[in-house]
Amino acid sequence: MVDISLLALAEGATPSAWSPRGLRAAVARRGIPITLISALGLLLAWTLATQFKLVAPLFLPSPFDVATQFYTVAVDGFSNATLAQHVGTSLFRILTAFVIATAIGVPLGLAMGLNRWVNGLFSAPIQLYWPVPPLAYLPLVIIWFGIGETAKIILLSLAMFAPIVISAQAGVRSVSQARVQAAQSLGATKAQIFRHVVLPNALPEILTGLRLGIGSGWATLVAAELVAATKGLGFMTLSAAQFLVTDVVFVGILTIAALATIFLTTLRLLERRLTPWKGQD
Amino acid sequence: MTLIVSNASVTYESKDSPPVLALADASLTIPRQGFVVALGASGCGKTTLLNAMAGFLSLTAGSVTVDDVPVTGPGPDRGVVFQKDTLYPWLSVLDNVAFGLKLAGLDRPKREAKARELLALVGLEGFEKSATYQLSGGMRQRVSLARALATNPEILLMDEPLGALDSLTRETMQELIVDLWASTRKSIFFITHSIEEALFLGTEVVVMSPRPGRIIRRYTLDFVHRTVASRDAARVKSDPEFIALREEIRNLIHQTGAESDGRHLLARAG
Ligand SMILES: Nc1ncnc2c1ncn2[C@@H]1O[C@H](COP(=O)(O)OP(=O)(O)O)[C@@H](O)[C@H]1O
Ligand SMILES: [Mg+2]
Repeated sequence: MVDISLLALAEGATPSAWSPRGLRAAVARRGIPITLISALGLLLAWTLATQFKLVAPLFLPSPFDVATQFYTVAVDGFSNATLAQHVGTSLFRILTAFVIATAIGVPLGLAMGLNRWVNGLFSAPIQLYWPVPPLAYLPLVIIWFGIGETAKIILLSLAMFAPIVISAQAGVRSVSQARVQAAQSLGATKAQIFRHVVLPNALPEILTGLRLGIGSGWATLVAAELVAATKGLGFMTLSAAQFLVTDVVFVGILTIAALATIFLTTLRLLERRLTPWKGQD
Repeated sequence: MTLIVSNASVTYESKDSPPVLALADASLTIPRQGFVVALGASGCGKTTLLNAMAGFLSLTAGSVTVDDVPVTGPGPDRGVVFQKDTLYPWLSVLDNVAFGLKLAGLDRPKREAKARELLALVGLEGFEKSATYQLSGGMRQRVSLARALATNPEILLMDEPLGALDSLTRETMQELIVDLWASTRKSIFFITHSIEEALFLGTEVVVMSPRPGRIIRRYTLDFVHRTVASRDAARVKSDPEFIALREEIRNLIHQTGAESDGRHLLARAG
């Protein structure tokens, strides 16, 4: 797809097509996403900077080196595991944590939105710990849960939990009184109001919460794999940094970025699919 | 079914502002097949009165009864069409209309058949599968009307249902409501701030004034009967009697507006 749009751009490459206005027209006409252009620009700058040795390879390896290293790590591995094994381990941690954070966070958020006692009980601790960076409470998690797999998954769950709970709670709160009254005047019981009005009304916010949660999970991956890990993308990146293998650090960062983007995009598509009315009413 | 409001008062209490007497000693009867319209400027307590009838709020004093049974909460015997759009965007037009029947436990074929019938009645055939947020304001209010009719309430409570519509759509909707009233023989309580709309629709019009909200004048009318008989809305609205009454009520509202709040009059003059 990328190649096709590039070809299309090259085909129409009369001199004027490369003028700012021509480019803008090409973007509009061919539907080339602006993000693609910005990514290509970045890649170009990166290539040029390394090509003309503006920066030492130790600090900034060339895209070609990174690509080669990517292949090596994928086939031969790095730090006693192949790239696929690192990815698999990290994916397992993130997905397990996501399931835990969702399974507890969504029902708790709903309960907080519905009941002010539950809300009073839980909102202060959640609001307090949410802005604290996971790296700051990592030592505590280690003291409490050791250095094994449990601690890693708990750290990730905690990072995902707060946005998920708060969004579910806000989703319940966002239901308009008139929508509830409309259901009441049609004979709805309390349970029916929850099931048929409050829950679907909260769905867009719940899904947004899940997306924020996953994002914050990926942002916490390196912290989670900081201590006593033997596999994982975060661990791989950290140990590469220790040995100053900068191109592997780049492989790690780019892989995390790619996976996080896939997750966020999938959730965004899911949101559009499940809640097409969002922002329309 | 007869709905009676007797000496109803509502005071809104709140922590950080003085209590508001929103409705003072209002008495009103919605007879079987009556079309009662409450007319007044914003803040007269019209919505408060309707909410009391619907059972959404409890009175500070007085009572609301349906066939001598006190109203203690909302119920499907009193259908409500709201001022704000309250359709559920996650449901199709058809499912919105069928919503009350689903709550009542009707199976899908039955409730959908009934919903289709009602959509046809409000002139929305062919929009069953549409998303509510893709409809125009007038069409959405048609859906709201069909939804309120689905549980077959004997009385419909409508809070400025046409307030947000442009004037052409509004006239079409007024005629639709007259048709529905005449064909279904429901009782209707209808709120508006348009004098013309009140006169055109009501068999009885109560004029309300603000601060505190109270009923200051009652009219018994037969313009709506004439519309039903002649099917000529334009002629009814241009009848000299209709126009004279419209001006009389306009003056009445302006005077009481001036008495209770001078700024009201200025705002209207400007
Ligand atoms: N929940 C409330 N709390 C406090 N004051 C209210 C509330 N609802 C309405 N009011 C006040 O009561 C008065 C009547 O309101 P309302 O019944 O909505 O009037 P209308 O529908 O005629 O515009 C207004 O002055 C309004 O500000
Ligand atoms: Mg109102």
